[in-house]
Amino acid sequence: MGNKIALLMSRKILILSQAYLETTTDAVCQWLDYYQVPFLRLNGEDLFQWESLDAIPQNEDIAAVWYRRKVFQFPSKYSLKKEHTPTNYTLKRFLIDEFNGLHSLLFHTIDRQKWLNDPVIEDNLNKLHVLMLAKEYGLQIPFTEVVTRKTSVVALLEQHPELIVKPLGECIMVEDENDTKFKMLTVVVNASNLHRMPDQFFPSMVQEKVEKKYEVRAFYLDGAFYSMAIFSQNNQKTKDDFRNYDQERPNRTVPYQLPADVEGKLRKVMQELHFGTGSIDLMVDRHGAYYFLEVNPAGQFGMVSFPCNYYLEKKMAQVLSKAYLYEKEIHQ
Amino acid sequence: MMEFLNIYANCQLVHGANMSLLCDLQLHKFYHIPNDTFEVLQYLKQHSIQDCIAHFGEDNQEAIDSYIHFVVKKEMGFIDDRLLEQLIPIDFQWDRFTPVTNVILEYNERLNYANKFVGDLFDLNVQALEIRCYHTVQLDHLLPLVEMFNDKTLRVIKLILPYDGSISLNDLETVVKKNPRVKSIWIHDAPEHKVEKIFNDTVAVVSLARPINACTACGEISSSYFQSNMELFSESQHYNTCLNRKLSIDYNGYIRNCPSMEQHFGHMEEVELSAVLKDPLLKEYWGIRKDDIDTCRDCEFRHVCTDCRAYLEEPENRYSKPLKCGYSPYTNEWDVWSENPLKQAAMDHYGLRSLVK
Repeated sequence: MGNKIALLMSRKILILSQAYLETTTDAVCQWLDYYQVPFLRLNGEDLFQWESLDAIPQNEDIAAVWYRRKVFQFPSKYSLKKEHTPTNYTLKRFLIDEFNGLHSLLFHTIDRQKWLNDPVIEDNLNKLHVLMLAKEYGLQIPFTEVVTRKTSVVALLEQHPELIVKPLGECIMVEDENDTKFKMLTVVVNASNLHRMPDQFFPSMVQEKVEKKYEVRAFYLDGAFYSMAIFSQNNQKTKDDFRNYDQERPNRTVPYQLPADVEGKLRKVMQELHFGTGSIDLMVDRHGAYYFLEVNPAGQFGMVSFPCNYYLEKKMAQVLSKAYLYEKEIHQ
Repeated sequence: MMEFLNIYANCQLVHGANMSLLCDLQLHKFYHIPNDTFEVLQYLKQHSIQDCIAHFGEDNQEAIDSYIHFVVKKEMGFIDDRLLEQLIPIDFQWDRFTPVTNVILEYNERLNYANKFVGDLFDLNVQALEIRCYHTVQLDHLLPLVEMFNDKTLRVIKLILPYDGSISLNDLETVVKKNPRVKSIWIHDAPEHKVEKIFNDTVAVVSLARPINACTACGEISSSYFQSNMELFSESQHYNTCLNRKLSIDYNGYIRNCPSMEQHFGHMEEVELSAVLKDPLLKEYWGIRKDDIDTCRDCEFRHVCTDCRAYLEEPENRYSKPLKCGYSPYTNEWDVWSENPLKQAAMDHYGLRSLVK
């Protein structure tokens, strides 16, 4: 019995993250240190040191899991020599799948209810599905359609003066042969640039372009919302997408309180998705109407926490330590 | 149509006796403004622009418009048809995940720092370390100390070194390359004041013409030390920004809140860190805010300023103004503090006269 208690006492918080460029994880770990809550930070990079499947954290040792990131990049010795060949891309994709095959074993070895977010849903999140879900729960979303022909776009432009094209999946960085990186951003389609569009194209998501007054990024944690307004309207450069950061005239980022009914609907979406945490992007138009845009379950919350003085890293550590203390209690 | 000026929550007004300060905490800027401007901007937080003009009088319309124009031009606010109630105020809470955030170490070549106290201290996730060298030091002697923190979570090391013609910028670059935690270097008693950048312009090497040869050189209040940012502003609402959660190891190895404070808490070879942290005397000054300090409480710079509780204008009054501050919030003039006749007795008390020529 003594052994059993000792074993249960050793339950830890498991943090899945990466070794580099993770100040958010670093800060949460240091808050957990401060609260004297034992944790295990497993960086994706660590998997390259595993000698056996025995290295995988065991369900009975883990009280709760926060899944932040997979890996920053594979160790350099596994980078491919000849760049920019078609095979190269296939091989890269293969290695990513191989890595994921091992990493996602964790989703099955540790009880699903211990995860802050359901990891399987998180890794397979579908943007269109989330938009439909948001609409179902009464949130307004920008008119959204998937089209393959210019004629459909022409028809849509009769109802909406401007459309935007966004990826259905994730934005990517494109590299050219000189390793210059190009960031994929939101593109506006209107009557004046329609001539550049081919008659038929790959299925693409278009949305009505909402004349935004400002954007809202809401960080959701344990039922509560910590929101931030992002004002970029003075700045032509960032008008369509606030990720086009402007160093000299950065966007204003200030604390924001979403209306209770918007929060209520968002909460239902998060519950439906089995997410205990995530970043939600919204847009507010000139008339004050809220448009739901997307959920990012592994959202970088440092960019909300610091400007608004929300101490979200501390709050995350508190939520994790609550789970740890609860587990400790029920097992003693 | 009614118009309203929405001022962003990270642009904070601080009222002073005769002038006020508008602190842009996001862009790290601050603007010295007349108290009249303060009154108008404060009024606009509750009322429309039209009401404001009615309240202060048509004669002031031009002035009011210019204040609003200033806020909008600096992107510290925007005009809208309402005051957006969803733009909530910032909660200026302050906390850190460590009982000690910053450490100052007065380096002494004769002491060994590889001891339990120092190990325990940096296991607490201390964020920043300042290593002060008052006397000429061999870089290879100093490096083992800098490297001691390689396996700790310490983020920033600041080195203060005396000028030494035999140490080149290249030598310093080598130190920084090997120890990327070293984020700034000060060279004191240098032939001239200058700022150079090394390590791809990421690390500043600041040469100071004055010597820093004892802790008595510290505590100076100067506008060049002012900082308008969220960390300082929020900590300043609750704590003493100079002493809160700070710890020092003085030249002789004694533990102090700050090297210049009289009280010590034992020698690093002899005391337990946990005992020092439990000692209520360590925290005696941590809660003294600028809002509690004579004169400072009337000063518009109080939340962008540093403080000093070691050298006071009235040594017996712990709530008195820092001795080494020459600013008066009542006249808005900066004088040379050491020439102030009212400060001479305090200077004698601390033995500071030799410091000032």
